[in-house]
Amino acid sequence: MIDLASPDCPPLESLRRLSVEATQNASSAMCRWTGTRIHLSLDEVREVPLENVSAEMEIGDDLLTMVVVRSTGELGAEIILMFDETSSRKLAACLLGRVPDDCAEWDELETSALTETGNILACAYLNVMAQLIGSDLLPSPPLLMRDYGASVIQQALMAQAMECDRVLICRTTFQQDGEQLDWRVLFIPTEVTRRHLENAFRSNP
Amino acid sequence: MVQLRDNHRLGNNIMAVSPATQPVADVPVGMGQAMVVEAPGRLRAILGSCVAVALHHPGLHVGGLAHVVLPKSNGQSGLPGKFADTAVPHLVALLKAAGAAPPRLVAKISGGANMFGNTGPLQIGDKNIQAVLEALAACGIRVTAQDVGGTSGRRVIFSPASGELAVESVGQAPKHL
Repeated sequence: MIDLASPDCPPLESLRRLSVEATQNASSAMCRWTGTRIHLSLDEVREVPLENVSAEMEIGDDLLTMVVVRSTGELGAEIILMFDETSSRKLAACLLGRVPDDCAEWDELETSALTETGNILACAYLNVMAQLIGSDLLPSPPLLMRDYGASVIQQALMAQAMECDRVLICRTTFQQDGEQLDWRVLFIPTEVTRRHLENAFRSNP
Repeated sequence: MVQLRDNHRLGNNIMAVSPATQPVADVPVGMGQAMVVEAPGRLRAILGSCVAVALHHPGLHVGGLAHVVLPKSNGQSGLPGKFADTAVPHLVALLKAAGAAPPRLVAKISGGANMFGNTGPLQIGDKNIQAVLEALAACGIRVTAQDVGGTSGRRVIFSPASGELAVESVGQAPKHL
């Protein structure tokens, strides 16, 4: 049994426990929003050398659909919901009661459905974090992007890269009715936010 | 396919590749790295707000690429390819060690997007572009082509054989600098 209040507690362990809580809250929010049994599970909390981020997080140069929500203000973080083209089409179709069409142009309703999904998920995630540290985490408006996954992560890592050559990434995966979905959520805190989270967990494990 | 004879690290995460025995594919250059290859080797990188600096020696068909993450080191140690002000001199040194003398080196650059839009406090893409141009000028290296800025990611492949920097970006026709 790990004592989370102990100074000897591995720093990543407290962040892992916290991420599990945040993931559970996000899971419930996603079930309510999609009307299906979607389960989010924390895949890993890792420190990764800056130069190996793409390789170690298995984010190559594939084009992905992403919704980015930033926590602005003193405590910064990025939450990125990522899926491939087919998965994003399926989700939008499910939310709108349509049949997925991989060939059609994205319309306003589909775009809005995906953007709102990212917003709901990110807010559920940030709410847990904010309760723990007793401080507001202010989510930005969600930003829908279709681009190289590595390019988006690169920008999200800037604040951490300013401080050190290793970066912390929490990765969550999804299942729907027991089937693995090709969706991922990355939570990337700034160094300041990370320290706040670790300290809060140590004082109130 | 390029033939590699040696593959040794020069400093922290700086890799120099010289010719000849094992076949390799395009060599990925990660954030903060700088690498040198001889033709027909090629170097590739995925860029958002980072800037790729490709240096080429036309006569020798040797070239290098640095994947610059941030503009200024401000005395910080770490990956020499990470900051514009350390990456450019380091890449020049690597090329010099490979026999490519600085007077004939030319540069092509790409990247420096503001992925989350042109608002917000951390417009690091623009600062990276400016810092890279200043570092190249300080080393007396001429920039012969650039594709920078915007709000989209880029995939670049640098071929020292021709000196071409191929740039792909979502929704745009490929560019050949």
